[in-house]
Amino acid sequence: MTLDSRAAGVAIIGYGTAGVNAAIALRDGGYEGTIRVFSDTGTLPYSPILTSYYAGGEKAYEECFPWSVEELDELGLEVMESCPVEHLDPQAHVISTPKGDFPYEKCVIASGSSPALRGFPEVEGDPEYRPIMLRSMDDAQRLKDAIERPACKRFLVSGASMVALKTLEACLNHGLACTLVGVSPHVLDFNALPEAAERFEKGLREKGVNLRLGQKIDSVRRVADGLEVTFSSGEADVFDEISIAHGMMSNLGFLDEGALEIDRALIVDEFMRTSDPDVYAAGDVAQATELISGEKRIVGIWKNAAVQGACAGSAIAAELAGGQPDAAVAYKGSISSNTIAVNGTLFISAGAMEVTPQRQVEVQEDGEMTIVRIFEEQADGEERLVGFNIVCDADEPGGKAYDLGAMMSLRIEKACRR
Amino acid sequence: MGLLDCSSVYRKFSGQCTQCGHCTPACSSLEAAGMTLGDIARAMLAAERGTETREQVAMNIVMNPQLVQAVRGCFFCTSCKNTCFAHNDVCDLVYHARVDFQNLGLIEREAWSSVLVDQEWDIFTAYRAIHGIGYTDLTRHVETEDHAAETGFDVAFFPGCSLAAYGPELTREIFGAFEELGVSATMVDSCCGSSLKSAGFFNRAEALCARNVDEIVQSGAKQLVCVCPGCANDMGKALASKGADVQVVSLAKFLGDRGFEPKKPLPEGQICISKSCQDRDGSYLEQTCELLGLDPETPTIFHGCCGAGGAVSAFQPDRQAQQADEKLSFAPDGATVVTMCPTCTYTYAYRMMGAPRDISNKHYTELLFESQFDWGTVFYQLGSMWSGEYGPWLAEVFA
Repeated sequence: MTLDSRAAGVAIIGYGTAGVNAAIALRDGGYEGTIRVFSDTGTLPYSPILTSYYAGGEKAYEECFPWSVEELDELGLEVMESCPVEHLDPQAHVISTPKGDFPYEKCVIASGSSPALRGFPEVEGDPEYRPIMLRSMDDAQRLKDAIERPACKRFLVSGASMVALKTLEACLNHGLACTLVGVSPHVLDFNALPEAAERFEKGLREKGVNLRLGQKIDSVRRVADGLEVTFSSGEADVFDEISIAHGMMSNLGFLDEGALEIDRALIVDEFMRTSDPDVYAAGDVAQATELISGEKRIVGIWKNAAVQGACAGSAIAAELAGGQPDAAVAYKGSISSNTIAVNGTLFISAGAMEVTPQRQVEVQEDGEMTIVRIFEEQADGEERLVGFNIVCDADEPGGKAYDLGAMMSLRIEKACRR
Repeated sequence: MGLLDCSSVYRKFSGQCTQCGHCTPACSSLEAAGMTLGDIARAMLAAERGTETREQVAMNIVMNPQLVQAVRGCFFCTSCKNTCFAHNDVCDLVYHARVDFQNLGLIEREAWSSVLVDQEWDIFTAYRAIHGIGYTDLTRHVETEDHAAETGFDVAFFPGCSLAAYGPELTREIFGAFEELGVSATMVDSCCGSSLKSAGFFNRAEALCARNVDEIVQSGAKQLVCVCPGCANDMGKALASKGADVQVVSLAKFLGDRGFEPKKPLPEGQICISKSCQDRDGSYLEQTCELLGLDPETPTIFHGCCGAGGAVSAFQPDRQAQQADEKLSFAPDGATVVTMCPTCTYTYAYRMMGAPRDISNKHYTELLFESQFDWGTVFYQLGSMWSGEYGPWLAEVFA
């Protein structure tokens, strides 16, 4: 390690929840040196969760930024705005950007993920057209502008994920005629079992959504009155705007192949350290312990990003103070969990959704809600809850569905930790 | 260190809140304040920002009635946490905000002077002393005039303050069941300290739990049997943090595992369960229903506090009654409402004394054993002790 790199302090690549929480934990851990943050935007850190709320008119623009200028100022960060990282050299401890090269002593990669364009064909007659993909505040602005345009009446959402459904809700809030197309036979493909998804779909249909499930977009053509989409079923329809949510890709393009151990994202230990002891990763770029499988997986949810960022920051603060990170700050692992409400229809899920020969599915359905529980037989013959879905027709904050969801999530987590 | 004692907690919480706003409609206090949980953290930090003295910080807080509402109006029921997509820990946030409120002199003394349960005298110990309720024969691990300190017990029984104070016969009958089942037991005659945390004495609550742990370890017990899920949570955390090899188990599970049969049949008519907000994973609920032989489909009111949590009654007395009414509204006339936590039973009984309903209000232990709470007598004795011969003493002790 060179004297230059000692003076360089801590670099954080990414100015989202993982990055900010790393900075907060560094300062709370007593680290007073330089924290240089590389952001590819010129805005304050925003909440990706709130982008659809903004587009749908439920939040004002300024409400989508969880941290105020004053709060961030107090962290004493050197923020490199609109400064995307082009290359990270872990061996040389150097980060390259359009604004020059920067040394670091410790680095946190918290660069998040970006929506994938895969599966969307080039538009005949308009090759420059790009569908709307919801992630950043710029994306949200584009969606908002589109759905508020008076001429925009017919909207197509492609994908069956949470992001797709929140995009759909924003469109429904504006009274648009909505169609959702998805390759999977059901919405919420990785998060719901068919019995729960069907109830959610019923809610969508009742709100006038045209569901084209088990289909995909085959081709798109610019026509006089919009975009003509031909589906894999052979049918065609015309839309004014298209949004796609075809999955996310970790933003790791600045790493050379083999520079760090990567599977789908960076493999990290319990202190979020990558294969290089001076490089940490948190959030959508990190594969950390998933409790049910015991494997290292990306569990791309806000809370994980925050907790992992804080873990990395605390560990670095301890190491830079000449010690070792305390076990108390170690990342304890997580389970996947999701909650989504689309125009009142509520869906809550947590845990494992894969149905294997060792797992049994129990469905409880009544007028109020549908509960799907997944049990797994343990070595001792006991059956353990490993996952669940709850769908109900009315989203009542603080109500029974949320309580049941919390109860079951806690049970799954507790059992894993035992 | 800044002017607030718990700034790092607020910064951490603020970092984990998406500001989606779903928590607000889940809680009457947050709704009244028009705040999210993240707003509480940010408002505490904002109160500190740009100030030079603690008095200025206190003034900034007082000048923000929404913040005061959100912090003092919290029942710790976790309805907001259950609704939060990130399950952010509201209790940790508000307990620490209460610490700062307390340290800044923003919680009036009369709100907590009688519930300092780590002192010799609090409302429970005073009630017991005045009415001759004692358990020195059951606290066998403690040396008294009548017996030496024993050790090597199978279990330590933790009835909690409400049961030990207001249900002495019931407490003794439960303890007797351990002997009937051939289990050697001692009783830990203490409190989990939740009232201290509500009053902003977080460290004192933790110190009390730590003292309890020392007592339990000294007794040699390998299991701590708790009646109330709140006590179980707090003592479980304390045991874990001190690395004590003692398992916390609910009374229902303990009895059920040993083949205990309820001493009497279930009451006639509809039974409705009132889930304790401290029983977040519902394990107490499930174990109790199993022991009582109740159908898993028994109507259950899940969310919200009975009204006793968080010392809200000292801040907004009406909200305790409103909360109790709301929780009880699910039970039809003629039903028996079964509670998990003795303080819920107390609170419902108190509410129904002022607004009678045709509902029978029972703690689950009352369905398992012959002895019952006698709430009429308890409330009479609680009220009269302030005006009787001990009145001046109480007024002085709790001044």
